[in-house]
Amino acid sequence: MFETFETLFWIFAKIWAVLIPLFLAVAYFTYMERRVIGHMQDRRGPNRVGYKGLLQPFADALKLLFKEISVPTHANRVLFLLAPALSIGPAVAVWAVIPFADGWVVADINAGLLYILAMTSLGVYGIIVAGWASNSKYALLGTLRASAQVVSYEIAMGFALVGVLMAAGTMNLSGIVEAQAGPFWNWFWLPLLPLFLVYWVSGVAETNRAPFDVAEGESEIVAGFHVEYSGMAFAVFFLAEYANMILICVIAAVMFLGGWYSPFHGVPVLGPALDWVPGIVWLLLKAGFFAFCYLWFRATFPRYRYDQIMRLGWKVLIPVTVVWLVVLTVLIYAGVGPWF
Amino acid sequence: MRPLREYVRSFLLVELLQGLRVTGRHLFKRSVTLEFPEEVAPKSPRFRGLHALRRYPNGEERCIACKLCEAVCPALAITIDSHQRADGTRRTTRYEIDLFKCIYCGFCEESCPVDSIVETRIDWHLMESREQRVIGKERLLEIGDQYEAQIAADRAADAPYR
Amino acid sequence: MEQAVFYLFAAILLFAATMVITVRNPVQAALFLVLAFFNAAVLWVLAGAEFLGIALVVVYVGAVMVLFLFVVMMLDITVAPVREGFARYLPVGLVVAVLMALQLGVVILSDEVALVGGLIPEPAADVNNIRAIGGVLYTVYVYPFEIAAVILLVAIIAAITLTLRRRTNMKHQDIPEQLNVHKDDRLRVLKMETERRPDRGGVGHEEG
Repeated sequence: MFETFETLFWIFAKIWAVLIPLFLAVAYFTYMERRVIGHMQDRRGPNRVGYKGLLQPFADALKLLFKEISVPTHANRVLFLLAPALSIGPAVAVWAVIPFADGWVVADINAGLLYILAMTSLGVYGIIVAGWASNSKYALLGTLRASAQVVSYEIAMGFALVGVLMAAGTMNLSGIVEAQAGPFWNWFWLPLLPLFLVYWVSGVAETNRAPFDVAEGESEIVAGFHVEYSGMAFAVFFLAEYANMILICVIAAVMFLGGWYSPFHGVPVLGPALDWVPGIVWLLLKAGFFAFCYLWFRATFPRYRYDQIMRLGWKVLIPVTVVWLVVLTVLIYAGVGPWF
Repeated sequence: MRPLREYVRSFLLVELLQGLRVTGRHLFKRSVTLEFPEEVAPKSPRFRGLHALRRYPNGEERCIACKLCEAVCPALAITIDSHQRADGTRRTTRYEIDLFKCIYCGFCEESCPVDSIVETRIDWHLMESREQRVIGKERLLEIGDQYEAQIAADRAADAPYR
Repeated sequence: MEQAVFYLFAAILLFAATMVITVRNPVQAALFLVLAFFNAAVLWVLAGAEFLGIALVVVYVGAVMVLFLFVVMMLDITVAPVREGFARYLPVGLVVAVLMALQLGVVILSDEVALVGGLIPEPAADVNNIRAIGGVLYTVYVYPFEIAAVILLVAIIAAITLTLRRRTNMKHQDIPEQLNVHKDDRLRVLKMETERRPDRGGVGHEEG
């Protein structure tokens, strides 16, 4: 009995050791977003709360915490309040299988890749339920757009990850990273370059971010599926969205950029010289680059029209992945390069 | 040939990268935003802000209650009452400006024959209730006294162009 | 411990399945079906079939039920009255239920499956679930697998051709053509000499 409690305690400790940094990362991702986009538009961004505005995320969180959660009339109350939980649950649950460094993973399961796909596909329920339960046409329209987009791009994303799975020969995320051991030209981004780009584009679309943010489309449908949400319920949606974005960044780093390996791992002189840097630093640096790209895209690209989004997903990205999977089969069969 | 080239270009994402380069360059440029309370944008001497009534150097108020400003005001923001003082000159008993009506066009200042009513550089004044929108003669004179040096300097700077 | 988890999720599964057929709002019924699928997946994972469990979530919960919900949400179905035509559909329902129970019984009680002992065979510790399924699927069952794939492909093509109609009088945009437009096709930049007015003799811009 005592042993059960001890295992349970360690499980909870591990979970919180992932979640607390995750929530902090979300908080500072919003801050970084406002600062980076501000500077790209020759503005400054928030710089008043605390030193250089560093306490701004907490000010925002506190504000949302003290706001009222209003439920629209004729809304389905239970589902309305359940929707934020449905959307944060999967967004947080995925992190169980992410390897942060060698052996730093909450649950090292064999079907890790499949688990990620399953959890990200669950996230769409939060959107659907929120939009339907709100009893608002803007929310419903936003829901239709968001869920159709998420479901479509999941296919391209899944195919891109199938390529990784073929190249690595395992679905275990730690195994995938270990299959990329070596300097940066050993990582999968090079042989899987088209899949890498497809994964990244569909990752951006999957999280409904600019330039694929018609689901939010503030100029047409106000804010999409979460128009009717306020206070903490809104904050939870926000948290889920940003946690998903960070997740996409980290998965990109794990799948294509060699996870926790340093860019010169195994190189005669530079490799040992960089050995003192812990693996998680490399992972965070790589993921941070992708996070920066998210903001960079948002500051640069105008919003896609909805039919163009669908065209890109179905008629460009999916064929590209299918073609490259065939090429990849040939590459693996021929045993090309340092990768296979 | 060109369609083919364009097709390849679209897959190489050339145009997207060009766009990213522009925003990437701007990331490292100096931002143009001013930190408002500490930094203030430079203002022209012709700036038309909060109103003031001026005095002559000997302390006599300039306004002679000719009511030209009241007549010219397009927003009907100015209300003037006048009387004859003991020394025979005409002066105002009431000079009120409704700041909600005022459109800061500067016609009152243009029309004033004695350079009494002026619009100063003060552009962020605040009021705590709606009643405070009407400012009276005392307050206007007070503003004039407080900023006389700046008001006079601004008129002098603008004089060659009038 | 594991048994407690099993009974918890089994109870939720049964509850959700009952709610699917008793709840009056079709959207809520669909959501309960999602819950039922999810719990079934959990039970499979508990039984050691992690690939099947997660595949159930990916396919049914992540894709099929989303489309289901879509249709239900868009159709504006009125809330069904309770037990409408209950007596009328009862015989058919009973027949179907008995048939399904019989089928299940035949499978479970047959010697080939050998589940009568009530225990699921313990998977070998070093066998990777996914690798094992893949190994069987692409060797022993490769023909049924390929035939199923071809049937699905035919179904996809059939569905697309059935719904595809080319209307000639529609004024819709041709997106690839729009995207392929180049400014050289439509815009011609002319270089012209600066003009002078003959009667003045002076340079043009001095007259302002």
